[in-house]
Amino acid sequence: MMADRRRINGPPGGTRPAVFASNSQSGTGATTRAQRQRQPSELRKIFLKTGLIPTASGSSYLEFEPSASLAAARANPKSLIPPSSALKLACTVHGPKPLPRSAAFSPNLVLTTHVKYAPFAARRRKGHIRDSSERDLGVHLETALRGAIIAERWPKSGLDITITILEAEDDRWWGDAPDSHDASWGMMNVLAGCITAASAAIADAHIDCLDLVAGGVAALVSDESAGSSAAPKLMLDTDPAEHRSILSACVVGYMPARDEITELWLKGDSSKASLEDGDKRTGHEALIDGAVDAARGAHTVLAEAVRESLLSAVGQL
Amino acid sequence: MGITILPPVVEDLVPRHDESDDSMSVGSDSDVEMSGIRAPKRARLGNLTVSTGVVTPGEVVTDDPQWMRGHGTYMTPLSTSIIATVAGTVHKTNKLLSVHPLRARYTPEIGDLVVGRIVEVQSKRWKVDVAAPLLAQLPLSAINLPGGILRRRTSADELQIRTFFSEGDLLVAEVQSVHQDGSASLHTRSLKYGKLRNGVFLAVTGTGGSGASSSSTKGGVGAGSLRPGAGAGVGGVVRSRRQVWTVSTHNGGGEVDVILGVNGYIWISKHADGAAAASSTTQNVSITRMEEMVSSSIYSSQNDNITPQTRREIARLAQCIQVLVQGGVRVDEETVMRAYEASLLVDLEVGDDEDEYEETRHEGREYLEGAKSRRILELVVQQAK
Amino acid sequence: MSNQRQASSASQVPHLSPAELSYLYTSLSLPKSSIRPDGRSPTQFRPLTAETNILPGTNGSARVGFADGTQAIVGVKAEVEKTVLSNETVDARSEFGISEDRGEQEGSAAVGGHGSWVQMSIEIPGFRDDDALPVFLSEMMRESLVGAVGSAEASDMTGGLKGRLVINKRWHWRLYIDVLLLSQPLSYPLPLLSLTTHLALLSTKLPKLKSQGEEDPFFDDDWAVAEYLYPRVSLSSAKHSARSPFVRPPVTLLVISVGENIIFDPNREEIAVADAVLAISITRDSEAGNLKLLSIRTVDPPSRLTQPGIPNSENVNMLGAVASTEDVAVLNPATGEEEVPGVWRPRRGGVKRSVIAEMVKTVLKKGGVGEEVLEGLEGVEVS
Repeated sequence: MMADRRRINGPPGGTRPAVFASNSQSGTGATTRAQRQRQPSELRKIFLKTGLIPTASGSSYLEFEPSASLAAARANPKSLIPPSSALKLACTVHGPKPLPRSAAFSPNLVLTTHVKYAPFAARRRKGHIRDSSERDLGVHLETALRGAIIAERWPKSGLDITITILEAEDDRWWGDAPDSHDASWGMMNVLAGCITAASAAIADAHIDCLDLVAGGVAALVSDESAGSSAAPKLMLDTDPAEHRSILSACVVGYMPARDEITELWLKGDSSKASLEDGDKRTGHEALIDGAVDAARGAHTVLAEAVRESLLSAVGQL
Repeated sequence: MGITILPPVVEDLVPRHDESDDSMSVGSDSDVEMSGIRAPKRARLGNLTVSTGVVTPGEVVTDDPQWMRGHGTYMTPLSTSIIATVAGTVHKTNKLLSVHPLRARYTPEIGDLVVGRIVEVQSKRWKVDVAAPLLAQLPLSAINLPGGILRRRTSADELQIRTFFSEGDLLVAEVQSVHQDGSASLHTRSLKYGKLRNGVFLAVTGTGGSGASSSSTKGGVGAGSLRPGAGAGVGGVVRSRRQVWTVSTHNGGGEVDVILGVNGYIWISKHADGAAAASSTTQNVSITRMEEMVSSSIYSSQNDNITPQTRREIARLAQCIQVLVQGGVRVDEETVMRAYEASLLVDLEVGDDEDEYEETRHEGREYLEGAKSRRILELVVQQAK
Repeated sequence: MSNQRQASSASQVPHLSPAELSYLYTSLSLPKSSIRPDGRSPTQFRPLTAETNILPGTNGSARVGFADGTQAIVGVKAEVEKTVLSNETVDARSEFGISEDRGEQEGSAAVGGHGSWVQMSIEIPGFRDDDALPVFLSEMMRESLVGAVGSAEASDMTGGLKGRLVINKRWHWRLYIDVLLLSQPLSYPLPLLSLTTHLALLSTKLPKLKSQGEEDPFFDDDWAVAEYLYPRVSLSSAKHSARSPFVRPPVTLLVISVGENIIFDPNREEIAVADAVLAISITRDSEAGNLKLLSIRTVDPPSRLTQPGIPNSENVNMLGAVASTEDVAVLNPATGEEEVPGVWRPRRGGVKRSVIAEMVKTVLKKGGVGEEVLEGLEGVEVS
């Protein structure tokens, strides 16, 4: 469907490392999956720093704290199956710069977003051309940011936002059957990270915006880590590798100052959510509220990171 | 009912009889045979009739050397036969033979009143989309500058050219001249012309070719086009005496202006009292008064306060025009007004039928589709007879 | 054209003048009684014509057209493909057992297929196949298709569409859904494409399987006995509710909010002034008979990229001819911004949670728009 028009690629379809039966079947320790050790409403720690790339007008680097089990497994590898991975991404902002001569007049800042996985970012290698999921992410990110930027302050100019994902969140634990839940839940976490990082980079590039927009994820999970009951439970900032079954998930781009959502992406069956008694909300409302809570958490880090870079700049003067 | 899903309609295709070739010939004495291909030897045009004949590209219109070729035809160098290059009707003006397409893109002519949309702003002119093959241009020198019509333009005006018209703005203008390549040059040097606001825009097909004026549609084509559903593509705005008029609407809508651009772009807006009203009686307005009026509203992009009733009637008028276009009826003041009256009538009929059948039914009442639009067309056609 | 592509968002930006935008916005946002330019009620859809099974070379197909001449054709083709089982899968299966543990944990059921078996491509004239709009639209529609998980009751459809594609452990169907828009879209084409895809999938038939169990599959070559991809009345579900005799593919609706009003099936001009645009995918829950939400996506509203209008008080060409008292800025309750009435401001910011909740509620509630659309679709004769 999508052919690279400039280079000749190798045959499609990748190869996978051989996983020997003995390896995965024998030791029970090897196949223990990561378990969520955080509280349902506890977020992972975020590392966020702006201004790391001097050639860009603005930049940021974001990293999620790896799950506890990942750290343990890395220190003491037992299986070829990594227990889970954490998100690492870099964002650069170029502009505002004049639009090319051929472009039509625009009274607003023209935003373009590129999201690209590094070839080694995920378990399955990504090609050098952007595939449809990367383009899809780019559109989501653009929607999230466009609501926050005050575009009419920069007429006739363009802004390029490029995000390189160095390590991506997995969609599931690789020890599980591929059909356990094959929807791209990891992509939602990636999107939340992209929104937060891009927002920091835009602030670093001194583009006017209404508020820092932060990304957050919440999911309805039904598995052992959620307790014995089969009823799905709401969890914030889910790592898909830690859960056997995610029923539905939601990611938002959220501006706390205005209490507004600039980007919403919800999918899956949220009708069976078990909420506390007396909670009148429907499943999807609870899910959106959860994601907003997660975004609020990310926003504190975001605001702090932006302030920090500002203070350090002032200190240098 | 939120959604209507219908099975596809198979249009009744009346099989054309072979004899129709004969019916094209005007006289039964077959002295004037138009179907040149069939009997090229016999084809000889009479010099007395206005033809209603239809030709297709490549068809020999005539090989009689007495005719001169006009628009829509060509001649091979070595023969005398005139061959059609477009599908349409044959027209004769003295010894000039031309073929007018039934529908074509708008070709500007001097004096046309057009509605256009700015697509590009250059340093001393605007490029305007008027539904013609080429963009029309509106030079800075061809507009009324604020502070008086007779003011010279200055470099300051050039710098703030976007404050007059910017990309996307709609305007009503007149074709001042037509260039060699067919592109038009517009002017707005009249109080009737200028930026449009307080209303809605509508694009339908405009005057095709050059001659699809009301006179030619009166004939066979016009009569056929009034049959709803048939003859699609002949509907559209035609050149007529009045392209701009004011409707006094019902249901408390007040007065509404309709501007039918010859190019098929239509603007329906709340009647502008004051400046524009005075402009129709320009003679008794002093120059200084005009200056004031120019400066007060001509380049404003702020809408006046418009009541919901007026908005409803504007929407109704817009739909009436859509119904006419979809029914293949030409659009001019007469048909639009008839369709408007008909739509009010249909509303009453429907209202009687249902009789507060359900409160929610009332909501979509203003939507003219399917049965309603057919009824309106019927009424329009009835009145035409 | 170049401008459309440059604003690479999922939305196209029509060129409308600030005065038009302001007129439209005010008309649409009139409290409780929005006036749409074509006179429809807020929940009314444009009338459609639809037919199915129009392409003999496909497993299923449909054509839907609007009155304005926009048409979409969808062809569904199915191919048999060998399932590549990774070692991990085998392990997992032997570990958890293939069969009976799915009862309590749906979603992890071993019968589930894979989302990548459904391939969707959208061709829109004037767009390259890797432009943002077709990619975004196809992802949006594919997501709800493969995400729709049937209930355990409709035994044929456990695991949703994905589950239905499994032939046996080693073979599966691969489904190609090709969407073709016949002309450049006059409005955001999502509802049209979604309805067409829905009907095409409904009419899709797969040849009847003659082999059994884990044999290499072979099929009955009699097309008359072919089975519907979305099986018709099965006994177990028929007794459940008469209204939804079988599982149906999902539908994606386009909803916009303007001021405090919620409007469905917006045309190009309406979407240009929207405060928020949502694409909401729903399906009928075959157990309860009511509607189920499958996905929500925000679509970038083009209103953010429009040209602002200039209030008369700030217009340099007005020469102070107007009394400035006219231009008192008022607070727009929907956006929380100060606006001069009659002057267009591009939208800023996002959408309030309450608005999203209200939009979803309008779709999902009993007798709401979602049910009307699904009932309308159920009325279409599927041959």
